[in-house]
Amino acid sequence: MLFEFDDDQQLLRQTVRDVLSKECPPALVRSVADEGTDPAPLWRTYAGLGWTELTETTEAVELGILLEELGRATDPTPLLATLTWFAPLAPGVASAEQTGTAVFDGVSAHREPLGDGWILDGTGRHVLDGDRADWFAVVTDAGVFTVPAGEATVTREDVFDPLLHVADVSFWQVRVSGESRADVDVALARDVALTGLALTMVGACKRVLELTIDHVRTREQFGVPIGSFQAVKHKAVDMHVAIERAAALAYFAALSIAEQDPRRSTAAAMAKAAAGECTTVVFESGFQLFGGMGFTWENDLQFALKRALSGELLLGGADVHRARVAAALLDAPAATTVAATASEEPHAAAV
Amino acid sequence: MRLRFDDDVEAFRAEFVSFLDANLPTVEEAAERPTSTAQMPEWTRRWQRLLFDNGWLLPGNPPEYGGRDATLLQQFVHLEELGRRRIYHSFNPQGLGIIAASLLTFGTDEQKKRWAVPILRAEITAALGMSEPGAGSDLAGLRTRAVLDGDHFVVNGQKIWTSGAHDADIILTFVRTDPDAPKHKGISVLVIPTDTAGITRRPFGSIVGRDDLDFNEVFFDDVRVPAANLIGELNKGWHVANGSLGHERTMLWLSFAERLDEMVEDFRPATALDRDRYATLAMDAQALRLLGSAALSRAARGEEDVASISVLKLFGSEAVRTAARHALLAQGADGLPRHGVTRPFEHMNLDWFFASWFERYARSFSGTIAGGTSEIQRTIIAERVLGLPRG
Ligand SMILES: Cc1cc2nc3c(=O)[nH]c(=O)nc-3n(C[C@H](O)[C@H](O)[C@H](O)COP(=O)(O)OP(=O)(O)OC[C@H]3O[C@@H](n4cnc5c(N)ncnc54)[C@H](O)[C@@H]3O)c2cc1C
Repeated sequence: MLFEFDDDQQLLRQTVRDVLSKECPPALVRSVADEGTDPAPLWRTYAGLGWTELTETTEAVELGILLEELGRATDPTPLLATLTWFAPLAPGVASAEQTGTAVFDGVSAHREPLGDGWILDGTGRHVLDGDRADWFAVVTDAGVFTVPAGEATVTREDVFDPLLHVADVSFWQVRVSGESRADVDVALARDVALTGLALTMVGACKRVLELTIDHVRTREQFGVPIGSFQAVKHKAVDMHVAIERAAALAYFAALSIAEQDPRRSTAAAMAKAAAGECTTVVFESGFQLFGGMGFTWENDLQFALKRALSGELLLGGADVHRARVAAALLDAPAATTVAATASEEPHAAAV
Repeated sequence: MRLRFDDDVEAFRAEFVSFLDANLPTVEEAAERPTSTAQMPEWTRRWQRLLFDNGWLLPGNPPEYGGRDATLLQQFVHLEELGRRRIYHSFNPQGLGIIAASLLTFGTDEQKKRWAVPILRAEITAALGMSEPGAGSDLAGLRTRAVLDGDHFVVNGQKIWTSGAHDADIILTFVRTDPDAPKHKGISVLVIPTDTAGITRRPFGSIVGRDDLDFNEVFFDDVRVPAANLIGELNKGWHVANGSLGHERTMLWLSFAERLDEMVEDFRPATALDRDRYATLAMDAQALRLLGSAALSRAARGEEDVASISVLKLFGSEAVRTAARHALLAQGADGLPRHGVTRPFEHMNLDWFFASWFERYARSFSGTIAGGTSEIQRTIIAERVLGLPRG
């Protein structure tokens, strides 16, 4: 296998990077955090560029490229939730400018006693962009319901990341029609969400490393740049290696989604676990190497640090996903495991 | 991004696979184990010669040097296929991977004929004499002296760690020929036959046992070496050193990936903690192959890529060491026996089926020490990849 972006993918990355440096610069991110600037115009720009239509699973690698760059820029819009939480559960429901998210847990559905509708009941906690979605895709034992946001009671949480929107989303005996229910591949949707979040974290970690490298090259102590000290260099390298590992596993998950590869679910768990591990290394070393500067509100480092760390706290942390990886490899029927595939199939062994 | 190689590469793999199926030595033929990395039992020599004669030894070489002018991706699937079947590529790894390769790059036609071809055809074995007691990571600080006297060099000094030297026929020896030049500019490389008068080779035990004899001290006492044995130009030995290590490093990551795959097979976790560590191992194995294949694509386009070679060496060697530690610790007191069988018998995979968990852990340090330590790799990556200032 050739695990490398092709020319189109490289071009996409460059285009996204150029757009973001113009449309979503650090100054905008800062003003969203400090002054409550509305990111809606930015969202419309994304929609105008067609970014919000990257919803086909065959385009998972391209979506991944977009999300990594958005993570790197600490994107303040609800694009991640719309494209990776909502769209896979409710394909074709939202228009290009509409936003959505998913309530993965906490809500049950039962049939309306009289009539052919359903009753939704319960609360989904810590729903990404729950307070600013136009649509919810609600995962229940009885299928996935797509409902307009107005049907739910929403409470935004006050979280440590000033750019992050997370809300509790409650349905109090809400009646929805039978047509709003669909049987979709929830496992696939969860893998898309995990992979999307992993790539967002990878992007944020890359940003932390870039800022850290700039800092240690210019900050002088003892008459020399602190980046010439070996203890500093080696920490920076450990950050780099952790990021490379996490990026590789995350893009492999994206590729396995695009190619409907049987290793998809394990690959997505690996992606999220590695992104979390990378976050731990990058958060601590990045923060540490900035010294007191890293401790301040003024420093933009905080946005990337928080984007990565909040990602680790959402959808299960590294430990949870390592347990899934171990279960898949050790307990599951051999056919779906990476190890079995690698030893049985020469093509796959090439990964 | 793709999950598969092109058809021509897969066709190449298929051809090699059918060669292996038809020609692999049997269990009975392969019974005699080598005792060092330069001691080749007769059957291993026959096998290597068969590979050479059929162009399957180093497929990237031209036919006269045991290859078939294969592309880089074809060379990769060749190694991958050997690894997947746990078949040793070479029973004199330094000879095949470093010394013959250096001779083919830097030697004259005469030198290639005299030493490279015999190494490739397993008629002779070779050892690598780089490190010295005072020159390890700082290889350029080496002090073994060679002084031209008529048409001979006279060599005095000492090498250490010289793997397999006591069984080798020649040593590729890095010597100082200009003590007054800056240290990188006064080094030359000589082929020294080990039966030359004045050479003393003293093998010594490794951490796994006093009877595990591969390391050597090699003493040179007024050793007279024909000037014709100079490889490359006088005082340009540093180029050869970099070339040699380059050969060693290009697909080195694949050997770490194979060690990791073996650990994935052999480490059977029982507790929740060990399952967690197992997941880390499986992720490392997967990530190393992914990063390796990305580096391979760059190399296939001819891009110079020191950076990813160092990243892959650092990451791969440390992942193997971590996995081996976890597998040993998981054994508790069952990990104490000196000898132990830790994986199923594979007749062409000679070190591992005899290795105890401790030995696997201890040997994993060869990855993090030899060929540039992890610390040296980190410094290289910091300066050449991340652009941090030299200290
Ligand atoms: C199994 C094995 C086989 C070998 N086979 C051969 C062989 O066949 N031929 C041959 O020539 N050599 C061989 N070697 C030697 C090997 O190349 C050296 O061991 C290696 O280069 C390190 O040198 P050293 O042992 O002198 O350690 P040192 O250089 O003394 O290093 C000791 C420690 O100090 C650290 N250190 C040193 N310099 C720095 C620095 N600048 N910054 C930060 N940390 C530093 C190192 O990382 C290491 O942790 C072999 C070694 C092993 C383990």
